[in-house]
Amino acid sequence: MDSILQTNLLSLILFLPTAGAVLLLFFPRDQVGAIRWTAFLISLVPLGLSIYLWTQFDPAQPGYQFVESAPWFSVIGSNYSLGVDGISLPMVLLTTLLTPLAVLFSFSVSDKVKAYMILFLLLETGSLGVFLALDLLIFFVFYEVGLIPMYFLINIWGSANRQYASLKFILYTMTASLGLLLSTQIIGLTLGNFSIPNAAEFWPKLTGSFFGLTAEGLRVAAFWAFVVAFALKVPVWPLHTWLPDAHTEAPTAGSVILAGVLLKLGAYGFLRLVLPLYPVESAQFAPWLAFFALMAIVAGAYASFGQTDFKRLVAYSSINHMGFVVLGVAAAAATRATANAADGIIALNGAVLQMFTHGLSSAGMFLLVGVIYDRTHTRNLEEFGGLFPLAPVFGGILLFTSMGSLGLPGLAGFVSEFMVVRGAWPVFTVFTALAMLGLLMTGAYILKGIYKSIYGPLNQKWVGHHLEISTREVIAIAPLLVLMLVIGVWPAWLVGVINETITRFMAG
Amino acid sequence: MIPTSYYLALSAVLFAIGVTGVLTRRNAIIVFMSVELMLNSANLTFVAFARQFMDLSGQVFVFFVMVVAAAEVAVGLALIVAIFRSKQSISLDELNQLKG
Amino acid sequence: MTQTDFIVLLPVLVLAGWALVLLLVDLFVPAGRKALTGWLALVGPAGAVLALTLWPNGGALTGFGGMLAADGFAVFLHLLFLGSAALIILLALTYLPRAGIERGEFYVLLLLTVSGMLLMAQAADLIVVFLALELLSIPLYILAGFARPRLSSEESAMKYFLLGAFASGFFVYGVALTYGAAGSTNLNAIVTAAQTGLVQGAAAAQALPVARSLLVAGAALILVGLGFKVAAVPFHMWTPDVYEGAPSVVTAFMSVGAKAGGFAALLRVFVTAFPGLAPQWASLLAILAALTMIVGNFAALRQGNIKRLLAYSSIAHAGYILMALPAAGSSFAAQSDYAVGSALFYLLAYALTTLGAWAVVMAVERQEGDGLALTDYAGLAARRPGLALAMALFMFSLTGLPPTAGFIAKFSLFRAAIDAGYLWLAIVGVLTSLVSAYYYLRVVVLMFMRPGAAQALARPTLDLAVGVTALATLLIGLLPGPLLDLAQRSVLTLTR
Repeated sequence: MDSILQTNLLSLILFLPTAGAVLLLFFPRDQVGAIRWTAFLISLVPLGLSIYLWTQFDPAQPGYQFVESAPWFSVIGSNYSLGVDGISLPMVLLTTLLTPLAVLFSFSVSDKVKAYMILFLLLETGSLGVFLALDLLIFFVFYEVGLIPMYFLINIWGSANRQYASLKFILYTMTASLGLLLSTQIIGLTLGNFSIPNAAEFWPKLTGSFFGLTAEGLRVAAFWAFVVAFALKVPVWPLHTWLPDAHTEAPTAGSVILAGVLLKLGAYGFLRLVLPLYPVESAQFAPWLAFFALMAIVAGAYASFGQTDFKRLVAYSSINHMGFVVLGVAAAAATRATANAADGIIALNGAVLQMFTHGLSSAGMFLLVGVIYDRTHTRNLEEFGGLFPLAPVFGGILLFTSMGSLGLPGLAGFVSEFMVVRGAWPVFTVFTALAMLGLLMTGAYILKGIYKSIYGPLNQKWVGHHLEISTREVIAIAPLLVLMLVIGVWPAWLVGVINETITRFMAG
Repeated sequence: MIPTSYYLALSAVLFAIGVTGVLTRRNAIIVFMSVELMLNSANLTFVAFARQFMDLSGQVFVFFVMVVAAAEVAVGLALIVAIFRSKQSISLDELNQLKG
Repeated sequence: MTQTDFIVLLPVLVLAGWALVLLLVDLFVPAGRKALTGWLALVGPAGAVLALTLWPNGGALTGFGGMLAADGFAVFLHLLFLGSAALIILLALTYLPRAGIERGEFYVLLLLTVSGMLLMAQAADLIVVFLALELLSIPLYILAGFARPRLSSEESAMKYFLLGAFASGFFVYGVALTYGAAGSTNLNAIVTAAQTGLVQGAAAAQALPVARSLLVAGAALILVGLGFKVAAVPFHMWTPDVYEGAPSVVTAFMSVGAKAGGFAALLRVFVTAFPGLAPQWASLLAILAALTMIVGNFAALRQGNIKRLLAYSSIAHAGYILMALPAAGSSFAAQSDYAVGSALFYLLAYALTTLGAWAVVMAVERQEGDGLALTDYAGLAARRPGLALAMALFMFSLTGLPPTAGFIAKFSLFRAAIDAGYLWLAIVGVLTSLVSAYYYLRVVVLMFMRPGAAQALARPTLDLAVGVTALATLLIGLLPGPLLDLAQRSVLTLTR
């Protein structure tokens, strides 16, 4: 029993949500309660399994663990192969954690519940597949598969402007991934298979001439194709314009998964593919990456400050926060296998940690915006004001989450952003210094959000309304708060796992 | 003996006339006749080459083409008749139910 | 006729023979109960599949002095044609009575045209290719006009007929010139002649330059002829009109069977007979493929009628399959074989997906060509979620999104093109796929997002056809291994 679980653990985590979705298909449509609870309980199983995975994972052991491999597309050398290391493990945990919370929060959805829950579970499989894949083609397939459920989630359960937002979302993402597809093809053709570890070993060393290009030229072209695909997903300025629309129009739980998990797919692509596969190119173009990251940090923060729509404000804050991830990646790219690798290690640790903590804080923020929108049917900050007395629990949670998002010392966001800045400072001093300006604006927009909503003069319009957060919603958000606090005070349990892998990687 | 190239030139001319006919004429019957002209120019080419090579298979091919052409005529004329019954016209310009 | 000849021809014989028997039987089937003929017609494809089992496993046979081949390529296509035919018969069982055109000849003509397709897949001689082409086409002309006296159907038949005959004219003239250049119409003999520069049967060696220019001209004309059949740009103008006017069930079969038949001939003729000319035709075909993809996809953007949309989509997909031809012209056997295998796999994925999509079209279509506008699909998901889901799957597959069969097929084809050095062609393919996403997704959006009163017929045979194709589309997308291996082993064994 134990050995079966051990050898197929990743497949189980990956496909249990799909199995659950298939199971839900057979439920009668009007059994809404049963559908909700089944979806929630099913989504708890992968969470349990990934906690088990976490306990069984040995950070000191190099390479991938729990590897599974089976021939899938043998003619062209693509295998169904999965594995985890210190970078993907936190992402798996994050995904399996956020999905049940999002499902639980979505109990308030009353329209087409069955389809909604099925799409959510499929979305979980799509995201997990990306994090677990050790084969470029499998990676790409899951990368695209996640699009379809998200498209429907926005398009069916979104708000007023959902048609436009969902189409923009899918067309942008598909366009960007076309280059990824072609580059994947080229790697597969030149190396004879699609294995990611194999590609990391041989693709950078490839010499000769292919398709009329030198290996170097081919790599540079493929590098940019990868960068564009992932940068759009992160999203990095100037490819970020789809995000505010998609976020704003998506249903609350959709935004949670979008910000918490889907954006991480892009960042994860940088870590898993761009850095290992293109060490030379990423070192060469690292200043550019740092520049784009800086622009994302600053532009995201300023744009966020300018919003009056609460949800849009949070959406732009994602651009701001994800900029730090890319900054950390850029610093690591510049210093990998050099004398300054120690700085890169700190920055990259910070980047991975930031992916995790941003997953928590943005998910929390979106849930809270969802709560208030559910009560007031508006997201306009100008219409709120002084709501603290009307909803003290909600106000407290919002305050806490905002502080986590802002990077208050003692909460999760501080640790990760500090590590990125600390690591990037010696490498890109000017850029990092300018990024601090963005950090300043982060404080400004978060405070603006809180001030306009729960502080300030009480908007008399809401007196008499029931605005308080419900118990179910508190349960959905509580794990996030706990984790934010735990990571803020004691990040070692998480960093320990991340650090080993990253240190080995940065050694070259 | 007349050189093969003469036959080839003639059949090329016939073929070109056939193609021009199909492309420019608007009467279904005439278009159809032009198609037949194309097929027969091919037949002439076959016979000429078969004669040059002293090879029977080219001439056999001509029979195949003739048989197939006859089958096509049967179907084609039937279609033209059917259209004529519906529209009292066989002008291709009036076949405009389907926007092209 | 030796025993080998007999075995090689047996699938065609069974099918054509059964068609003739059916013609007689149909006389005794009373009007209004013609479904019986339809069910009986299913025996034909089943019998042909049985006949296929007599072929040697893995090896290749030739019959009738090298005119017919029985190799993996033919087996794969036979299964494709026979499977499609069976699905079409199932669909016709509900479609014909509903459209008020239930006549027994339909099934007879269908079996005859399928036997032409089988012959096409086996043809190893240009004469046989021509015969197969006509056997395939003539019944289809009649089928296109099957909804007589509806004028649009007659008009469709007329257009299809005239342009089809026009294309045959080009084809025959091309064959004649090739014969003049090579002294034979046998594909293997043409290769030998092109390589040695000697014309068999001639008293003396023919001067090479003359024969070569004739050969090039012949190949070009054959390409024009077959280009019409597969609806490649610039020979595609007939497609939308013919597809729109013909009864849907016939259109479905045209877009799958006739196209696959045309590609069978293109692959067989160009890869087997004209490899020596590959430098000339490969780049030309690459340009045609690119044009076809671009024109097909962009024209489809503007369509408001589902039949015309699928017509342009079928043009676009012809462009994708054409990508395999320049790659198949590669002088490296491995690249060439891979390209042919990819084209076969693409044809299979395309056939399944397209048949499924047409089945949904037939379910939504009402009397006399009603219910064909895209807006008639609005709100389908609310009434018939299963049907809408299947249609969405087909649209995703046609776009080439994972995890459907269409993705694997496109991936394979692009790989073949890149491998043979046509990176730019793959880029065109990828970009036009993106364009196609717009109009395919529009159907999905309409079904799922817009309110509307879409209605759809529910009949067991129709649902069965939709279910089978949807399941296959998804399964092949998830587990492509076995079928892809089969396609890759089904290469042309004639010259090797």
